[in-house]
Amino acid sequence: MSNRSKPQLGTLRRRIVSLLTALTFLVLSVTGILAFVLPFDIDMIGLHALMGFVFVGLIGLHVFNNSRPLKSYLHSKALWVTLAVTAFLTALFWWQPAPVRTVLSWSGNLGPTMERFEMDEDGMLFDYAPSPDYRMRLNVITGASYDTSPPPQVAIWLENQGGYHIKTLLAPVSSVETPYYAFKHAGWEKAKREAEKGVEIDAVSQPTPNGSFDPADYILPGDSKDSTPYALFLEINQPGDKQASLVYSLEIDNSLPRSFQLLDLRGFPKREEDGADGKEKWGLYYVDESFTTALELIDSALLTIDRGK
Amino acid sequence: MKSSRRNFLQHSLLGTAGLGLGIASTSEVRAQSLPGGLEPEVTDNVDVLVVGGGTAGHVAAIQAGRAGASVLLVERGSQLGGVMTTGGVAYPGLFDAWGKQVIAGIGWEIVKESVELDGGTLPDFAKVPQRHYMNQVFTNQFLYAILAEEKCAKAGVEIAYHEFPQAVTKTDTGWQVDCIGFGTKRRVNCKQIIDCTGGAEVCGLLGLARLREDERQPGSYLYMLGEAHEPGRNQIHRLYVHGADSTNSRTVTHANLTGRKSILAEVRNKGKRLMHLQPETGFRETYRIEGEALITVNDYRSGKKFEDAICYAFYPVDLHTKNGVKPEPLKPGVIPTVPLRSLIPKGSRNIIVAGRCVSSDRLANSGLRVQASCMGMGQAAGAAAFLAARAGTTPLEVPLKEIYDLLREHGAIIPGDV
Repeated sequence: MSNRSKPQLGTLRRRIVSLLTALTFLVLSVTGILAFVLPFDIDMIGLHALMGFVFVGLIGLHVFNNSRPLKSYLHSKALWVTLAVTAFLTALFWWQPAPVRTVLSWSGNLGPTMERFEMDEDGMLFDYAPSPDYRMRLNVITGASYDTSPPPQVAIWLENQGGYHIKTLLAPVSSVETPYYAFKHAGWEKAKREAEKGVEIDAVSQPTPNGSFDPADYILPGDSKDSTPYALFLEINQPGDKQASLVYSLEIDNSLPRSFQLLDLRGFPKREEDGADGKEKWGLYYVDESFTTALELIDSALLTIDRGK
Repeated sequence: MKSSRRNFLQHSLLGTAGLGLGIASTSEVRAQSLPGGLEPEVTDNVDVLVVGGGTAGHVAAIQAGRAGASVLLVERGSQLGGVMTTGGVAYPGLFDAWGKQVIAGIGWEIVKESVELDGGTLPDFAKVPQRHYMNQVFTNQFLYAILAEEKCAKAGVEIAYHEFPQAVTKTDTGWQVDCIGFGTKRRVNCKQIIDCTGGAEVCGLLGLARLREDERQPGSYLYMLGEAHEPGRNQIHRLYVHGADSTNSRTVTHANLTGRKSILAEVRNKGKRLMHLQPETGFRETYRIEGEALITVNDYRSGKKFEDAICYAFYPVDLHTKNGVKPEPLKPGVIPTVPLRSLIPKGSRNIIVAGRCVSSDRLANSGLRVQASCMGMGQAAGAAAFLAARAGTTPLEVPLKEIYDLLREHGAIIPGDV
């Protein structure tokens, strides 16, 4: 028999804390990347946030477990370097200069700090704040036929004056229920691909704000003279009600700023004959008497824009 | 009879020689004389005289003619249709609002027929237009003008091109109007006048009160550069003619010269071929009458249904400025109406207007002035003038029900019908 003792792997408490920290770190890493890349998803954001609290607690224990070596680090030169780096990063991410904004814009939803969507039986609340000086809130008050089981499918997006989708603010879980959004979004994807290939695209590839793919050109133009009106669209459909989705919209014009605007019912989407080029076409049509409960999904939809100074 | 009329004219001319061509500055309706002591070469006795064969005028004439009136239509240009044909804005609108047709009747009949004859396409009014102008109807301007002439002929309307009234005299039975064209002097004795001159020029001759802004909306000169003009298929190029004014031949000449000069500069700058050029500037704004009722922009934007509403109007508030235009769409469900009283010059009898000179404030007028609405007003004015001529009264005293019945008989839509 060997007299050699087993290697010291710490106490049970230390081992549990370290393993838990590593595993929650793994979950946080994956959910963090997905939350950044994908459109806003309350499940993903919820998982990431709550797991983040657990992780913070574990890190606290981890720091406690390693307090002795940590104390020794406080007397080393590394302290000042790490303090400087931390302060720099904190300042950088707090003030968010243009390069940081660019990185954030790669996010599928511009990050949970810019967008927030809540839905309950009383209504829907959507916040979008692409800048500290530009905050948009869409408050949808539900109507008599609104039902959360299953919940209605909702898509919210922006279009330029040429009718081109320029940004999705809220993607539906299933775009089958919101075909007009799906059509617009697909058109945008296609136009972007063609523009990248250098094919001339009507109203999209032009070097004008109205032809830009960058939502910032519409929402936060560098100069008010360059401000171009754009439109906010909301498509809503209650699964199983045997009625088409309904589309609401309003026009936003930063050169004629208005703080409060109500969305108007535009119509319902209907597929038309494909174009001569074989492209799928959808149009909006005025609602007729075949629509009943769908008209009562929404009582009102109010957009509030706070433009700061 | 002819001799005594000539004697009467000579006496009248002597008695009023000092007045010359001056326009009466008060609201009193006064006699004017033929300038230069000229005697008429042609005399017409008609029930209804329509002055101006533009978007409202030819529709008014056809309506009155179809109803049974004898009608003379005097037009200063060489074709019917006005801004749709001579001006080239051959995409009239808007006939629909919120998914339904709200303006129909004679104007729509000619538009529809010209589109069908031309193999064109009519918009689907059930479809929500992405922008308001998408439901304008692309019309072949040349075909439209000829069809309008054919409809006039069938309705018994006599057309007098290249003529314009120079003097208007009140008579016991209505009006005596002296018109001049090149080589033509015409005297018209009529019971009713429909002033469809755009700027209410007959009302101006009579000294009736008119409204006018210090600054006018720019006109548009339409042309085609570098590519073929396909009538009835697309919009053509256009540039603003700032200060464009259709008040008289001098201001129209000035606007046309200015517009063409700018187009020549475009040709030189772009090095492209000039493929099409309209003969005249399209004018947006000159005078409006001060009527028995004034349509305000609040009336217009709220879709006020006047108790004597005779047609709908539908278009955004659309004021053009030096910097362009930013249309303000009407709120969903809103459809403005035009009251009969807004077509009647204040304090007048036996004269009615139709078209962009409708009594309205400037912003309301920026939406009311478009073709479909002018057609609706024209048809209503034609019906009211016919009924007034037949009853020996003035349009404002014709029972509304009679006007409505006649308009419905000829396909028009009365507010409340849809």
